[in-house]
Amino acid sequence: MALNREQAGEELAAIDDVVRRVKQSRIYRISGEIAMIWGVMQFVQYGVYALAPSRFGWSWLAVDAIGIVLTALMLRRAGFANAAGPGRALAAFALFYGFGFVWTGLIGQFGPREMSVFWHTLFLFGYSIAGLWFGAGFMAIGLGLTAAIVAVYFFAGPAFWPAIAVVAGAGYILCGYWMRRA
Amino acid sequence: MRAPDEIIHQPIRLRIMAALTTPGCDTEGLDFVRLKKLTGATDGNLGAHIDHLTRAGYVEATKAFVARRPRTTVKATATGRAAFERHVAFLKEIIADAD
Repeated sequence: MALNREQAGEELAAIDDVVRRVKQSRIYRISGEIAMIWGVMQFVQYGVYALAPSRFGWSWLAVDAIGIVLTALMLRRAGFANAAGPGRALAAFALFYGFGFVWTGLIGQFGPREMSVFWHTLFLFGYSIAGLWFGAGFMAIGLGLTAAIVAVYFFAGPAFWPAIAVVAGAGYILCGYWMRRA
Repeated sequence: MRAPDEIIHQPIRLRIMAALTTPGCDTEGLDFVRLKKLTGATDGNLGAHIDHLTRAGYVEATKAFVARRPRTTVKATATGRAAFERHVAFLKEIIADAD
């Protein structure tokens, strides 16, 4: 059987299309699993806040550290960290935390609610930007959850803490589940 | 003159092999549901093409129960990966010859 140039080009284009979709599917899958882990972390963090508000600061950092380690391990297991090791993921977290600490610790005069909303929206901003490279799902999650969290800030009133725990915790888990299946 | 791999040349099987040889999937394989999405094939059609590739020794399918649900995972074999590489090289050769 002989193939002409056009047929060969079509086959190569089909291969490129499948490879691109497989890569995106793998990114969505691991990102979805990571988002679900962070959803659970939100429930843990807000649970600690409800039960022992005085230990909130340190417990928040400890739970975040566990989340970062789990994220790096998941990236490594999925083969995304083979080339650069977990260093790139850790560097990304360091940049976000560094930026966040400059604002929350040095410049901004944030109360507890503002602090909570700021950190969520900061990381969700990262999701939205990632959407420009890795697919619209990231942007949908980033912008959608940001809108929900800002709505909680303005409209939840005295129910702010349980509302933010549910919106952030369940939001990450549901979005992660959706992304994993996308 | 070299010829295309007649098994891989079929459009659905070409997509199956492209998916299974993508880095990251070449070692762990892909499950049936994900392959269905990627190829756009129906259950029966995809199953028939996977059987065809299995008989040729290009892929191997493993059935297992995960969370009490049956899951079929399909992986490209070394023979399949080599055949796919040869087929891609053949396609590129046609384009290069025409230029």
